Amino acid sequence: MDNDYFSIDAILAENQKIQCKFKQRIPEMGHLGGGSERDILPLSKRQIPIWLAYIIVYSDWADFDIPQPFSNKVRNALRAEPRSVRLSNLVGAGAGWYVLGKTIMDMLGDEQGVEMSEMLITTFKGRLVDVIDQAQHFAVLGSVGGGGGVDSAPQMFREGLDTTERELFVLAQESARRMKKWYEEGSGGAKRVL
Amino acid sequence: MSLPQSLRTSVTPPELELIASQQLIEIIPLIAIEKTAFISGAFGPLQPPRKAQIPLWMAINLKLKKKCHIVAPEWLSVEFLQSRLDEEINEPGFSKLPFRYAEVSKLLLDVQVTFAPDDIQSTDKIRYLLKDLREARQAKSREGLDQINRGELSLSNLCSMEINEIRPFFVHAMGILTHLHRDASAEDQP
Repeated sequence: MDNDYFSIDAILAENQKIQCKFKQRIPEMGHLGGGSERDILPLSKRQIPIWLAYIIVYSDWADFDIPQPFSNKVRNALRAEPRSVRLSNLVGAGAGWYVLGKTIMDMLGDEQGVEMSEMLITTFKGRLVDVIDQAQHFAVLGSVGGGGGVDSAPQMFREGLDTTERELFVLAQESARRMKKWYEEGSGGAKRVL
Repeated sequence: MSLPQSLRTSVTPPELELIASQQLIEIIPLIAIEKTAFISGAFGPLQPPRKAQIPLWMAINLKLKKKCHIVAPEWLSVEFLQSRLDEEINEPGFSKLPFRYAEVSKLLLDVQVTFAPDDIQSTDKIRYLLKDLREARQAKSREGLDQINRGELSLSNLCSMEINEIRPFFVHAMGILTHLHRDASAEDQP
């Protein structure tokens, strides 16, 4: 987690809450979960933001469950068809699914971590080709196009893109647009020396 | 850095065109020029009707003033490009093309169209062939996306424009994959 210290994406991802089950009794900290108790009792569950949960889990005061965006249901859906899942809906505003996944993966033990890493990577690679395809297609349409009502499947995919995928989309679209512009402009102004 | 974000990731096509213009090309001069020193080197003397090798930018300049005829490079012909196109379609790898074929061909073809349509034959056909080549190679590089991993990606025989086009998102995607990777042996918990 150290090398992400200044990364905005990581900070936003760490703001997400995960479910922690406390193993010990912690006095005077009941307000963390928003409840009315004074103490946190053993085996009680609270939703704790990741930046706090990291230390708590590290010091072995609680265990945490893998949060909903990475549940088995989501995993199965991704395994079936990575492009049909709307990643932007799974996580709240601001954080990205991939960044959240990485943050959680850093907290997991070896076996679960590798499994999670494979899931993230497979999903990413599965969606990548579509992201780039759409970006290049959109460079052609320019700002006038916009897909229209007929194109609802690609449009839904575009809306379901995660923040990291959106950055890639913009990069690809920019370079495609530049290329197109260059190919279509004539012999350029620098050549007029008559 | 004060460059806008989009320019930080790669070179722009006009810049590549400028770099490509420094390549030497053969011309038949129509006027005589003695050996002149330019910033990039000394060229000349130009003695018609002997052929001479000068940089592309100079050749285009002279051509615009109708002071030379450009001898087309041997790869800028219908036969050569057609055979490369067939190779491209039938074989899985990328066919070998001059590294800056896109820029040089655009420069030469544009000068033909605007000014003296006499030096390169069948410019339209050549344009179509070049476009087809470009699209075939783009389709292949899209397949290359599937093999992307966080280490290295080898796509041989790609040309300068194509590399420039895919560089930003390829590099970014590889960075993301590096981020997402988790070594089975590395462990950041005690």
